[in-house]
Amino acid sequence: MTPTAAKPVLSLRGIRKVFPGVVALDGVDLDLHAGEVHVLLGENGAGKSTLMKVISGAITLDAGEIRIDGQPVRIASPRHAQSLGIGIIYQELNLVPHLTAGENIFLGREPGLGAGVIDQRALVRAAQQQLDDLGVAIDARTTVERLSVAQQQMVEVAKALSLEARVLIMDEPTSALTQQEIAELFATIGRLKARGVAVVYISHRMEELFAVGDRVTVLRDGRHVGTRMIRETTMDELVRLMVGRALSEKFPKQRVPAGAEVLRVERLERHGLLHDISFSLRRSEVVGLAGLMGSGRTELARALFGADRIDGGRIFVHGRERRIDSPRSAIDLGLGFLTEDRKSQGLVLVQSVQENLTLPSVGRFSRLGFMRRRDEAQAAAKRIAELRIKTPGPHQRVMHLSGGNQQKVVLGKWLTTEAEIFIFDEPTRGIDVGAKVEIYQLMNQLVARGAAVLMISSELPEILGMSDRILVMRAGRIAGEFNAADATPEKILAAALGRN
Amino acid sequence: MDAPPDLQANRGSRREKAGGEVPPGSSSLVTSAASGTTRGGAPRGTAFLAHYARQFGTLAGLVGLSVVLWILTPHFLTVSNLLNVAQQTSINAVIAVGLTFVIISGGIDLSVGSLVAFAGVVLATLLQRGVPVPIALLAGLLTGFGCGVVNGLLITMGRLPPFIATLGMMSVARGGALLFTDGRPVSGFGPGFRWLATGEVLFVPVPILVMVAVYAMAHFVLRRTRFGRYVFAIGGNPEAALLSGVPVRFHQTMVYGLSGFLSAMAAMLLTARLNSAQPIAGINYELDAIAATVIGGTSLMGGQGSVMGTLIGALIMGVLRNGLNLLNVSSFIQQLVIGAVIIVAVLIDMALKQRRR
Amino acid sequence: MIVPPPARNFYPMKTPRLFFAFAVATLVALTGCNRGEPSRTGASGPANAPTVALVVKTLNNPFFIEMQKGAQEAAQKAGVSLIVQAADREVDVERQMQIIENLIERKVGALCITPSGSREIVPVIVKANKAGIPVLIVDTRADEKALAAAGGKTATFIGSDNYDGGKLAGAFIAQKLGGRGHVAVLEGIPGHETGDSRLRGFREAIAQAPGLKIVASQPANWERDQGFNVFQNILQAHPEVNALFACNDLMALGATEAIAAAGKSGRIVVVGFDAQPEAREAIKKGTMAATVAQFAGRMGAIAVENAAKLLRGETIEAFTPVPIELVK
Repeated sequence: MTPTAAKPVLSLRGIRKVFPGVVALDGVDLDLHAGEVHVLLGENGAGKSTLMKVISGAITLDAGEIRIDGQPVRIASPRHAQSLGIGIIYQELNLVPHLTAGENIFLGREPGLGAGVIDQRALVRAAQQQLDDLGVAIDARTTVERLSVAQQQMVEVAKALSLEARVLIMDEPTSALTQQEIAELFATIGRLKARGVAVVYISHRMEELFAVGDRVTVLRDGRHVGTRMIRETTMDELVRLMVGRALSEKFPKQRVPAGAEVLRVERLERHGLLHDISFSLRRSEVVGLAGLMGSGRTELARALFGADRIDGGRIFVHGRERRIDSPRSAIDLGLGFLTEDRKSQGLVLVQSVQENLTLPSVGRFSRLGFMRRRDEAQAAAKRIAELRIKTPGPHQRVMHLSGGNQQKVVLGKWLTTEAEIFIFDEPTRGIDVGAKVEIYQLMNQLVARGAAVLMISSELPEILGMSDRILVMRAGRIAGEFNAADATPEKILAAALGRN
Repeated sequence: MDAPPDLQANRGSRREKAGGEVPPGSSSLVTSAASGTTRGGAPRGTAFLAHYARQFGTLAGLVGLSVVLWILTPHFLTVSNLLNVAQQTSINAVIAVGLTFVIISGGIDLSVGSLVAFAGVVLATLLQRGVPVPIALLAGLLTGFGCGVVNGLLITMGRLPPFIATLGMMSVARGGALLFTDGRPVSGFGPGFRWLATGEVLFVPVPILVMVAVYAMAHFVLRRTRFGRYVFAIGGNPEAALLSGVPVRFHQTMVYGLSGFLSAMAAMLLTARLNSAQPIAGINYELDAIAATVIGGTSLMGGQGSVMGTLIGALIMGVLRNGLNLLNVSSFIQQLVIGAVIIVAVLIDMALKQRRR
Repeated sequence: MIVPPPARNFYPMKTPRLFFAFAVATLVALTGCNRGEPSRTGASGPANAPTVALVVKTLNNPFFIEMQKGAQEAAQKAGVSLIVQAADREVDVERQMQIIENLIERKVGALCITPSGSREIVPVIVKANKAGIPVLIVDTRADEKALAAAGGKTATFIGSDNYDGGKLAGAFIAQKLGGRGHVAVLEGIPGHETGDSRLRGFREAIAQAPGLKIVASQPANWERDQGFNVFQNILQAHPEVNALFACNDLMALGATEAIAAAGKSGRIVVVGFDAQPEAREAIKKGTMAATVAQFAGRMGAIAVENAAKLLRGETIEAFTPVPIELVK
C-alpha cells in the first residue's frame, strides 16, 4: 500500500510552538494519509508530545498551518479536535474505572430516553457494536477496572471510533502490554488501517515500528529531520536521525569476571505470589530476570527489598542470614531498588533533585536529627556531575526532568547510600535511545566496581544484551536459568511460557 | 560487615569530599562525565528566590492590605493596634502550624478545634484544683499530643483516611470536653497562669512571643531537620518515601501528635486570654487554620508548603478582621470578605501555576 | 498504588501585584459601600459626635436586631454616633473579645456589651477600664465575682431580671395545666448566665406546684434547629409531656415544628422567652401559648442613652431594670 499518492487527511506545515525559554517545535511539517500508520520518532524532549498536543487541540500553536482535507483549520480545544475527527489515546488512559466499557465509550453522549434518563439498552447495543467492529472480545457491560490495560486501551480506541475519528494518535500504546497483547494491538491497528483511519503511532521501541508502521517521521530538538518509508529505512538510519550520530553499540555490555556471592535467597515464599524461589547473586554480575507480566518478578524484588511481607525462606547477604522486614533494613544492608514506576514509586516529584538524591541517606546527612546541609549539597552536586544529570541546578524539581534524567536521579539515590546490590526493575522503560545507552554504561560502571545487579526487564534484547546470567520466572517460580552465552530468545520465551 | 576488600576501600574514597567537580579518572562512575556537564548550576540567590517566591507573594498581599488600612483608618497603624492584631492572631496561628505539618504530609486534621476545647478544659480543671501551673500546662499539652497520636495511629495502623479519623476525633474530643465539665465553663485560676495572656517581656505580650517561638522552631524543624525532610517526602509521595527507607508510619503519627500538641498550646493561650475554659471553645477553628494554611500557599495535595507562609496567611486573616472592625463593616460583610479572600488567593495561585505549564 | 500529586510551580513575579491589586480593590469597594449605606453598619449620628459602640452576641438573632434598632433610634436622638458589631456565632466569646479589643483601639467613647460569656468577658472589661472607656453591660450580666477578682468595673447593668422571667413562665404553665402535668425544658448553652437564671426561676415556680413534674431538661444551645431535634427526641422518650418551657423563642419555635410533626399541635403548652415577632405570631396562631417579653429595643435604647449621659459627664444608676411581662 502506498498512501502517499492520495490527498492527505491531515497536513501540518511549519508548526512552531515556543514555551518560555524553549522552542518546543520549530517549523515541523507532517502529512497523514488515510489508512496509514505514521510513526513519530524522537528522543524525549524532541517535540513529539508537543506536536501531539497541537494536533489534539490541547495547546495552540504560535505559527504554522493545519489543514484537514485541504481546508485550513484552527484547532481551538480538545473538543474541537474531536469534532474534526481527531482522537488521541494517551499513555495514561482516561477512563472512569467504576463505569462499564459501554458507559465509558458514550460518556457525555449517552443515548437518552428524554428527561435525562439514559437508554441503557441502546447504549450497550451501540457500544458492543463498536467493540465487535474492532474485533475485540470485550463485553460492553464489564466495569472498566476489571479489564486489563490492553482491553482498556481497546475501549479507548472504540470510544475514539464512536466519535468518528479519522485520525487516531496513540502515545506509547505498548508500554504496559505483554507480547501477546502487543500482537493483538497490532492486529487491531491493521483493522483500523483497513477502515481508512490514519494512525499516528508514538513509541520508543524500535522493533515495533518495523512491525506496525508504514512511514516514519523523526523529530530532533523540535525540528523535522526526516520522513522515510519504513520499508526503505533501517534501524541504524533511524537511530542516526534521532540522535544525530550513529550509536556504536546498542548494548555496550562489558564482561567482568564475577566474584564472591553477595546475595543468596533460599526457598523464598510469599503466599499466592512467590513459591520456592532460590538463587544467588555474585559481585560484578548482572543477573537478568525475565518473565511475562504477572510472573512475579516485581513481587520478588519488593519482597527482597522488604517492601512486602515474606512468608517463608531465608535471605543471606554476604554470607550471613539477614532479616529484611522493611526497606530501611534492606537499605542498611546495602540494597538499592530502582522501581519499575519511577514517578509513583521512585521519586518525590515535587521535591528537588538534591532532596531526592539524598532521601534514603538523610540519616547520614543529619546529626541528632538536624540536617547538615553543606554535606548534603556536596553529595548531591557530586552525583549530578557524576551521572551527568541534566538539570538547571540541584534545587530543580524532579518533575521537570526528562525520563532519562529522572532515572539517573533514582540511580543516584542508591549511589548515595553506597548500595552494593542493585535491583533494577525495568530500568529503561519510557526512556529514549540515547539515555538508554547511558543507563547501560552506568550499569557497566557499577559492575566493574564490584556491584551486583538483578535486572528485571520485559525487553528480551535488553535481557540478552546486558545479563551475565538469566533467570526466567513463571507463575511465581523460577522456571529456568541460562548463562548469557547459551541463552536465546526462544529458550527464554519457552521457559516463560512453560513450553519446555 | 564482611564486604569484599575493594568495595570497602571504595567506601572510604566514596565518602564525599569537596563537592562539585569530580577529577577525571577518580572514583567517578562515568569517566566521560568528569567534565561535569551540569547545565548552568543555578546561583544560590535564584534558588532562594524561587523557593520563597510564594511567600513573597503572600507577604506582598499582607503589606498591601496593611497599606490600604493605613490609608483608610488612623487607628490601624499604631503600635498598640499592631500588637493587638498579633495577639488576636496568635491562637489561630499556633493551631495552623500543626495543620501545616499535617497538610504537607498529605493529610488533614479536622479535630484541632475540638482538641483546643478538650485540652483547655483539662488544663483549666487542673488549675482550678490547685495543681501547680507547670504541671497543669504539661498535662494539657500531653492531652493534646495524646489525642493527636491517637489520630495518627487510626490513620497509620487503622488505615483510616485522615478525614474520617480526625472527623471522628473532632466529635469524640468535643463530647469528652462537654462530659468532663458537664457543659459548663471552667474558671477561677491563680494569677500566675494569666501571665500567659497578660504578661509582657520587653513590652511584647507573651502570646506574641509564644507564637514567634513556635514559628521559629517549626520553620527550623521543617527546613533543617530530618523530621521535616521526611514530612515533605511523605506528603510528596508516600510510596517512594517508604521505598527509600523512610519510617512513614512513625512520622505520620508524629505529625498528628504535633498537631494535637499545638492545639493544646493554643488552648493554653485561649484559656489564659479568657481566664476561663469553655467546652464549646474552638468551634470552627479548624476551618480558620486550614484557611490560614491555604492562603499561605501550602498545597492540600501535600508535599509542598511552608510555615512562614502560614504565619502570613494567619496574619492576613487577623489584619482583615481587625481592619473590618475598625472600619465598622457589618459582621455579615466580614464573613463574605474573608471567604472571598480565601478563594481569590488560591485562584490567583492556581492561575499563575497554570500559566507556567 | 499512590498517584503523585499533579505538578505545582511557583511563579515568583506576578503574585504580589495581583494580590495587592485584589486587596486594594476589595477594601476600596467595601469602604465605598460602607459609606454609601450607613444604616446597614450602624454608624448613625453626626460625623464628629462622640462614638458609642454596642457589641451584641450575634446579629442573626431577632432579639439582638431589635436591640440594635432601639439603640440606633436612641443614638439619633442623643446625638451620638453608634457602632454595632457582633460575632458570627452567639457562643464565640473569643471573637467577641477581639471585636471589643479592636473597638478599644478605635478609641470609642463608651462600650455597651452583651457578653457572650459571663466570665470570659471579664479580661476585656479590664482592658477597657485601662483604656479609660466606660463599659455598660446589657441584657446578660458579667460574672460579678470574677470581675471583682480581676479588679474590673462596669458602669451599669441594663437588663431584665431573667430569674423573674423564668418564674413568670413557670407560674403560667402551672396555672394553665391546673397544677398537674409533665413538663419538658429546652435549655440554652450551659454556663450562660441568662439561661441559667431563667432556668432557676422556672424551676422555682414549678417546685411550688407539687403536681407538676419536669420529666426532661436538655440543652438545645439557643438554636432553632436544635430545638426541633431535641424536642423531637424528648417526645419520643416522654410522649406524656404536656408543657414545654424553652429558654428562648428560637428553641420554642423549633419545638412547635416538632410538635406539629408529631401531630400534637395545640395539645402541648409551649412557652418561650424574648417575645420575638415570630413568637407573637405563633401565639396568635395558637402553636405557642406564651412568651416572656424582654423589650430588647428598650434595653438598647436605655444603654445608648446612659452611655451618652456618661459621655456628657453625668452620673447614671448602677442598675436599670427593664420591665418584663408575659405575652399570651
